[in-house]
Amino acid sequence: MSPQVRDTWRQWRLPLAMLGVFILLAIATAALSSPTPGGYLDPDATTPEGAHALTQLLRDQGVEVNVATTLDEARRTARAGALLVVARTEFLIDDTILAGIAELPGDRLIVEPYREALDTLAPHVREQGTRRTQIVFPQCDLREATRAGGARMGGTLFNVTAGAYRCYRLDGAASLLRYADSGRTITVVGSGEFMTNQRLAEQGNAALALNLAGVRPSVTWLAPRVPQGLATGDTSLFDMIPAGVKWAAFQLGLVVLVVALWRGRRLGPLVTERLPVVVRASETAQGRGRLYRARRARDRAAGALRAAWLDRVVPLLGLTGISTGEEIVAATAARTGQDALQIRTTLYGDAPGDDAALVALARDLDTLERQVGDT
Amino acid sequence: MALTGRAGLFALLGAVVVLVAPAPGQAVLGWLLLLLALVVIDVALAGSVRRLRFRRDGDQLVRLGDTASITLLVENPGRRRVRGMLRDAWPPSAQARPARQRVDIPAGERRRLTTTLTPLRRGDSGAVTVTVRSLGPLGIAGRQGSHRVPWQVRVLPPFLSRRHLPSRLARLRELEGLHPVLVRGQGTEFDSLREYVVGDDVRSIDWRATARRNDVVVRTWRPERDRRVLIVLDTSRTSAGRVGVDPLATTTEAGATGERGAGGWPRLDWEMDAALLLAALAARAGDRVDFLAHDRVVRAWVSGASRTELLSVLVNAMAPLEAELVEADARAMVSAVLARAKHRCLVVLLTDLNSAALEEGLLPVLTQLSSRHLVLLAAVSDPAVAAMAAGRESAEAVYDAAAAEHQRVERRRITARLRRHGVEVVDALPEDVAPALADAYLALKAAGRL
Repeated sequence: MSPQVRDTWRQWRLPLAMLGVFILLAIATAALSSPTPGGYLDPDATTPEGAHALTQLLRDQGVEVNVATTLDEARRTARAGALLVVARTEFLIDDTILAGIAELPGDRLIVEPYREALDTLAPHVREQGTRRTQIVFPQCDLREATRAGGARMGGTLFNVTAGAYRCYRLDGAASLLRYADSGRTITVVGSGEFMTNQRLAEQGNAALALNLAGVRPSVTWLAPRVPQGLATGDTSLFDMIPAGVKWAAFQLGLVVLVVALWRGRRLGPLVTERLPVVVRASETAQGRGRLYRARRARDRAAGALRAAWLDRVVPLLGLTGISTGEEIVAATAARTGQDALQIRTTLYGDAPGDDAALVALARDLDTLERQVGDT
Repeated sequence: MALTGRAGLFALLGAVVVLVAPAPGQAVLGWLLLLLALVVIDVALAGSVRRLRFRRDGDQLVRLGDTASITLLVENPGRRRVRGMLRDAWPPSAQARPARQRVDIPAGERRRLTTTLTPLRRGDSGAVTVTVRSLGPLGIAGRQGSHRVPWQVRVLPPFLSRRHLPSRLARLRELEGLHPVLVRGQGTEFDSLREYVVGDDVRSIDWRATARRNDVVVRTWRPERDRRVLIVLDTSRTSAGRVGVDPLATTTEAGATGERGAGGWPRLDWEMDAALLLAALAARAGDRVDFLAHDRVVRAWVSGASRTELLSVLVNAMAPLEAELVEADARAMVSAVLARAKHRCLVVLLTDLNSAALEEGLLPVLTQLSSRHLVLLAAVSDPAVAAMAAGRESAEAVYDAAAAEHQRVERRRITARLRRHGVEVVDALPEDVAPALADAYLALKAAGRL
């Protein structure tokens, strides 16, 4: 690794490590604490209005739960002898989709159906008002309901012409209906609240939910998350743009072309010129300085400073270039009155051990030179 | 052919039309055809550029830092008016202003346009092309064409040191003496004989002349004249380095001031400045000045110029010189000097005191030169290095200071070696080198060493 890379790494590793720890913590917290998001009666949602607890209970009892969010997914797993749970019917607004669901085989449990869904999936049933959900007792002979006892029912209330179990009645209308139609059992409940994670532990909610949903070895739980049956037409967004706008955009392209031709035509040729060399004369000295610095060449640097000092000061002392070091030290000591030993260390001592010592040496030399000059 | 902004605007208007048109496809096509038709009409009706005739006039010489103005006479012999833009293209460093100007020349008439140049660089600057864009009556499109109208402006060295000339001339007159001196000394030559007046030194009486006449006659003396000075300018790599502060930066455009001033001026330019002051002074002192520029080959050679036109000949010779990025060939330089200077003369070498370059180049052949001629070496020292040598505030600054001191010691050592060889050395800061060289010349002249 080059020094620069190493320095960069040293500088950034702590922030990077902190960032990494932060991300890991965030992931761990998210994975451990936050509920799996999802809407009302979503079999995967662990939020209060989700239905994950119920599907988990069903799976624990050996029931195969197939989660479906679209008609195609439901079609893949629905079969005769299985149960099809239809929830979130507000998303099933397309007639063809509803018809497709109606054609699926097997028993049905329809949760909180809207009128269109009710008309298609349970044609004999009529809506008859709504009530707030509350704990209601079965008041009917349906074994699943009587064994569960009181449960949170209500919501949409239904009535039927004939031949059906009408349970959890409020004001004479049932919030749970069960009847048989062309060989299959159709159950309609006016509220799915008793199946949610929040309410499952309440009264006989769990028992009722398990009794209704767990009677078959396989359950297909259809709970769409987005409105189904939209934007299935062949017209794309582009087709809906008026032709004038498209051609105007084309024309804007032409405008860009014309403007490019206008701006792109230079008034005459580019003029080239031979450029002179621009180099500071002091760059060689600077380069040498950097080299000293990069290699920490304190011995060289101290040598150069001392040589320059001798060069300047020896003539001031009345000595010549051939004078010995002892003579120079003695003459300097005599002139300045400083300690000869200290002067010898400054002028001829060892190379400085660190950068601070080098700076100190340079200042000592300056002081000594000033003292020689002053006296 | 050239389009204008109006063509773009017209096309943009088309976008609005297309947006509301009942048949947008056809509208696009129709608008495009309309635009094409307008462009064709406009180009056809625009005045011809090719038939324009040009003539130039104006300055051919300008000092660096001054402004030259060039007039361009444009004649339109065609049948249609030429209206539009004209660009007189010069190299960027010539700073031609205005960069482009409007022209409107009715058929058969002519117009005079002026371009001013404020060159940033010495040397020859040539006009490149004159380009005219002639627009049609609608102003949607036009014709464009270029003409070569050659013109050359020579940008001369600024000779900033001429402000030092009056004081040095005064010193020279002092030296010569407005009255011829009576004392014979070094550096004097016989001037004339005149009658003795009381107070004259009796030793200067010319007895032989006195014997011929009935009067007592004394000899008078004056400083020597008609010596030869050969200025040798080193144009090799060491002269390319920039030192000091660009003296022209304050007088040129404000926008470029900071970086240009801080960028310094090449040693070559400082040396030229010093050479010009020396030449002006020596010419006044009655000496003959020759000039040689050399790196590996002779770049310029001026000889035998008369006293009055010496300076103009010199600046003309110096103007195109640039420092070449080659090592100087001192051997070739010495032989070039020896071949040209038959008599003893003062050889002024303007180069850098670069120990490596001098030790390998000049020192081995210096004796050939110094045995026949008096050699004076002038060099420009770098104030940035002196500033670096004083740095003490941090370890980095001290390392730099050590490197600078190293260079200065080398410089002093090479100076000492040159002086041992009998070479006079002038080592001065950029602003001081011209007067210092002039002073050194005057000192040599006073000492009669020429």
